[in-house]
Amino acid sequence: MSQAVPARMAVKLHRRVCLVLTEDAVLAEELLARKKLAGEVLGRLSERALLIRPGRIEAVLEELIKMGHTPQVVGK
Amino acid sequence: MPNEPDDWMERARQALDGYSETLRRAVAGTLLKPRNPIPIEELTERILATLGNPPVVDRRIADRTAPGRALLAILGQSRQPVWKVGHLLTMLAALGSTEGFAPIQSLLDAGLLFPVREFVGSPLNGFQQWLGQEPYPNAEVFTLPGVAARAKDEPLGLPNLASPEGPSKSDTPRIADGLEWPLRLAAVGQLVADGAMRTTQLRALFKRDLQRLQTHELLAAAPADHLVVLPDIGVLTLFWALGAEQLAIIEGELTLPKAARTATNRPLTDELVVLIAGLSSIEAWDPLLGYRLIEGQLSAVPSAAVLLLLLLAKAEPGQWCESAPLAAWLWEHHPSWQNGLSPEALQLRGTPWVESLLFGVFYPLGIVEVVERGGRFIRLSPFGRSLFTGGPKVPDAPAFPQTLMVQPNAEIIAYRQGLTPTLIGRLSRFARWKSLGPACTMELTAEQTYRGLESGLTLAGMVQTLNQHSVRPVHPAVMDLLQRWANKRERITVYSSATLVEFLSPADLDVAISRGMIAVRITDRIGLGADGADPDYKNLRLIGNRDYEAKPTKCIVVDDDGVTLNLDAGQTDLLLEAEIGRLAEPVPADGGIVRRFKLTPESLRRAVLGGWKLDDLDTWFFARTGAAIPAAGRMFLSGPAVPASLATKRLVLQVPNAEIADGLMQWPTTKACIEDRLGPTALAVDEAKLAPLKEVLESLGIKVEFA
Repeated sequence: MSQAVPARMAVKLHRRVCLVLTEDAVLAEELLARKKLAGEVLGRLSERALLIRPGRIEAVLEELIKMGHTPQVVGK
Repeated sequence: MPNEPDDWMERARQALDGYSETLRRAVAGTLLKPRNPIPIEELTERILATLGNPPVVDRRIADRTAPGRALLAILGQSRQPVWKVGHLLTMLAALGSTEGFAPIQSLLDAGLLFPVREFVGSPLNGFQQWLGQEPYPNAEVFTLPGVAARAKDEPLGLPNLASPEGPSKSDTPRIADGLEWPLRLAAVGQLVADGAMRTTQLRALFKRDLQRLQTHELLAAAPADHLVVLPDIGVLTLFWALGAEQLAIIEGELTLPKAARTATNRPLTDELVVLIAGLSSIEAWDPLLGYRLIEGQLSAVPSAAVLLLLLLAKAEPGQWCESAPLAAWLWEHHPSWQNGLSPEALQLRGTPWVESLLFGVFYPLGIVEVVERGGRFIRLSPFGRSLFTGGPKVPDAPAFPQTLMVQPNAEIIAYRQGLTPTLIGRLSRFARWKSLGPACTMELTAEQTYRGLESGLTLAGMVQTLNQHSVRPVHPAVMDLLQRWANKRERITVYSSATLVEFLSPADLDVAISRGMIAVRITDRIGLGADGADPDYKNLRLIGNRDYEAKPTKCIVVDDDGVTLNLDAGQTDLLLEAEIGRLAEPVPADGGIVRRFKLTPESLRRAVLGGWKLDDLDTWFFARTGAAIPAAGRMFLSGPAVPASLATKRLVLQVPNAEIADGLMQWPTTKACIEDRLGPTALAVDEAKLAPLKEVLESLGIKVEFA
């Protein structure tokens, strides 16, 4: 029998988050190994999710493109 | 520059809102001529309504003096509603007006012209005050396109300079397809997107960017169908793209505005009208000298270009003009043109300058046609006549939808006759222009594909464009390449300002995902809505709201055991989520909503291996708990650094209270017998000195018993 689901789930919102989401953990490791990029990373939320310093998205994008990546930018 | 009539009305509304009540009433008085006073709250709406009423506008135009009407006619013919005051004064002077600023003042007074105010501060009390605020001659005015259109047939008093002897009717005129400039503007847009280009405050180019434009393989080359070679044609293209609003300057950096990133659907003729309007902004380029910017001076190009077009429009259908009489007219009438001419051009009374503009700039636009017979004869083309003399509208060129050939090496050949501004715009978003000619070449590249996707195109959309306009279906090898490049983009997603949704439990997140409320799972409890936007609140109850850019706050309570960390769900932030797992182990949920972590020797060792130092941990604990790392945690870390502990047997004298112990430690007679103080009332005694100590103590009346 499926568990009853509460009608409204309690959540907390984290707004204005600068985040890089990679396809897999290896790619995230690759990004963290890049010194210039690692300096812009505040923390690793999960294997694939890196938190970026506020206001440093442009620098991160520039560095990703320098590395030969073609990141999809959401909310620019 | 706004494009839609409503946008211009809005702009006029903003300008009127910046007027003081007295000035607004004065304008309304001239424009509306009301019999009764108008309530202040209705003034702006009544002025705007009147400006949208053609019969009243016609009457007010007729009320102006001849130079005022001529000025509006120039605005209408130029298709540019915004002009610098300096250029308007120049054109008025060239038309023989000696009234200076008065015609402009008259149009401003009547609400047929508005000042462009860069810095709107206090309400404007008069137009002289505005002229004092804005740096002359760069102060700008604008009119409503609808108003200017009503005046565009007003007489300007220009002569017909047609040559008495022109080419015969059997001479076939040479006419360009009008695509050259739209193609070049698309290419300059790609160059700007390639790397940051900046301008100074005066809109001057930096040397590096100037060199890029001067040496660019495509932009520096002369058009395939050219009559003269223009100097610094790449620079002209760049500034023209700015004038046509296909580029913008934001904080000194050239960029593609959002509107330019999406393909326009306007026909070629409309696109060319936008370019003609953009001529009024070309200040840093000269037809003979190329890139040229003189501080504090306006270029003659905007005013001379409009005057030359209007002079050509004076020729009767079938008549031809030559450049020398046109140059001679400018020589006689244009107040500042001669000052900017090179010595060589001065010797020929400016004729080369005029030829460069007519044959180098106007000809590729397709607004003039040329016959070479002994010399060059020029006149407005049917399209040019439709614009400037009210001639019959030119039918759209026949469409050739299949105009592309996509080659297996990812090169595209684009046959020019089938290109339209829409197709140029769409192709420019995902393919790079390589060469322009009767058959243009483009290249599909990973970078350009990426830009196409970033501009909002989809892989399917790109392939559809290619298939739709290609003579045969896109080659599988090219499809494969595009697919691979598009997939590569899916590997990394950067969210610049996302809203992350944190649930109380992994089960809640699972439910939210299954209901489609959350698109991406980030951690076991945190997810992301589609495009990182706010979630639909219908099924959610908000218990906290954290701004990512806010400072970290205290959100952990440490238990008495010194190792259990209790997280305050309402106060935690994402950084904590990212950090806490590095130094503590999660405690399995016990059914309550409080999340717990435990410090263990292993977890803290892992943190140290990950680069944390004791000081970092102290700082972190201060920020998150309000105190330094608990003693237990500190012990976990400092254990390896302290000397070895010693296990020994000692003779312990336990005294009744701390005062006695203090006394024994202080009096030299007893102190000599004591090895160490172990606690407030416990003393370690040298076994050999126990007997003398006992004796001394008993002499003091303190009994010693042996356990």
